[in-house]
Amino acid sequence: MIDIIKFNLNDKEISYTGSASARLLDFLRDEKKMTGTKCGCKEGECGACCVIIDGKTVNSCLVAMGSIHGASIITIEGYSKTERFETLSKAFESVSAIQCGFCMPGMLLSSECILDGNPKPSETIVREGLSGNLCRCTGYNSIVKAVLKASEKGGGLW
Amino acid sequence: MVKNLLPETLEDALTIYFGQPELVPYSGGTDIMVGSSCEDKNFLFINRIPELKQIRLDNEFIRFGSACTFTEVIENDLTPTILKEACKKIAAPAIRNVGTIGGNIANGSAKADSALIFMVTNSLLRLQAHGSERILPLRDFYIGRSKTAIKQGELISEILMPKQNLDNYYYEKVGARKALSISRVSFAAILDVSDDIIRNCATAFGAVSDVILRPSEIDNMLIGKSIKEAKAIKSTYIATLDKAIVPRSGRVSIEFRKDVCMNLISDFLESNGI
Ligand SMILES: Cc1cc2nc3c(=O)[nH]c(=O)nc-3n(C[C@H](O)[C@H](O)[C@H](O)COP(=O)(O)OP(=O)(O)OC[C@H]3O[C@@H](n4cnc5c(N)ncnc54)[C@H](O)[C@@H]3O)c2cc1C
Ligand code: FES
Ligand code: FES
Repeated sequence: MIDIIKFNLNDKEISYTGSASARLLDFLRDEKKMTGTKCGCKEGECGACCVIIDGKTVNSCLVAMGSIHGASIITIEGYSKTERFETLSKAFESVSAIQCGFCMPGMLLSSECILDGNPKPSETIVREGLSGNLCRCTGYNSIVKAVLKASEKGGGLW
Repeated sequence: MVKNLLPETLEDALTIYFGQPELVPYSGGTDIMVGSSCEDKNFLFINRIPELKQIRLDNEFIRFGSACTFTEVIENDLTPTILKEACKKIAAPAIRNVGTIGGNIANGSAKADSALIFMVTNSLLRLQAHGSERILPLRDFYIGRSKTAIKQGELISEILMPKQNLDNYYYEKVGARKALSISRVSFAAILDVSDDIIRNCATAFGAVSDVILRPSEIDNMLIGKSIKEAKAIKSTYIATLDKAIVPRSGRVSIEFRKDVCMNLISDFLESNGI
């Protein structure tokens, strides 16, 4: 039996000995001060708290620390150091897909997973991939356009 | 501090659970982590136990490990299309990437979308405890609203779907919105016809009553009949189902639920020339 929770966070090995039932979202924001991961609902409904765990988007508000032993986690802080992030965020800026920005960390990480799974996605695939990310400002069309544009401009990145 | 309970094998998990039956199994967490009370719970983490993550085939069954996520079920070649379709309609990718079929069944909800498919296919549960195990038809697992037949110290380890012809199926999830929608009525049906004889007819209704309804005795009326014979008894079949389906009120009215069920059953029959 294991009683130290070990995982990789943005390429750093972490050993965690706190409560196994604490939320990953709270650990990231309160302990690690990685406030790029947002808290919108704590119910799995809004996607603002999305992180990438072992290559897949997950809502960190519904993740207990004990469940991530052995996992690799990427938050927006880690992702923002990549070339893929640069390309995606430029695409978002170029079509004015950002307004208040609250949903953006989640949107960008979901977009990354869409393109990682399918470098040339159809509009339907993009909409499906973003269906768990709520945005109260943009009306979604510009976000979908941004992901499609990143896919066009990304030339071999994904 | 909460002691971390991270078993590495199923045997470990069952031994720990036997000694501490008050622990709460944690599979994907997408049900139990909603709400604030989860932070005080002591979880038994079963989400990374290899034995619970397999999907395999034997002579009789497709065997689904209970801790397989919806995404893993969708991506597996052994998964029949009807189950893939139902899993694809659950929530959004970030929930499907962690939510599991075992959790979907264990929560005892009549709205559980993958459980509906396991019901219509007459699937069985393999329930394991420290030093014992049993096989239970899923239908007998549900005993009331959010009440199941699970015993202290037991885990669902596998869901056994009998091999059968599932090519001709009907599935409809009626929700309030397109994305992230919880079923208000869901319906799944299978009709296997060969040489003009109905070899299998199975229906299941979700989100209608306290438990998922699986009126197999009524469906049996059509088994062994030709399409023409089935047409002749169609009105009796529908009237019998109408009596057997007793919806409860909730976010939508009893009448709405009943109407939707009856429309779906008619559409299912008509789309098969009955
Ligand atoms: C935003 C959102 C949208 C959703 N949409 C849908 C939807 O469209 N359709 C749908 O059906 N559901 C939906 N759900 C509910 C949920 O995602 C599913 O029911 C999921 O299958 C639960 O599985 P889990 O592994 O996350 O369960 P967990 O939360 O880990 O566990 C659920 C319960 O089952 C018990 N348990 C888990 N595994 C076992 C086991 N192997 N043996 C014994 N007991 C066990 C746990 O102790 C707990 O009581 C949604 C949830 C959210 C948050
Ligand atoms: S805060 Fe996690 S989904 Fe809304
Ligand atoms: S830009 Fe404001 S919530 Fe999306």
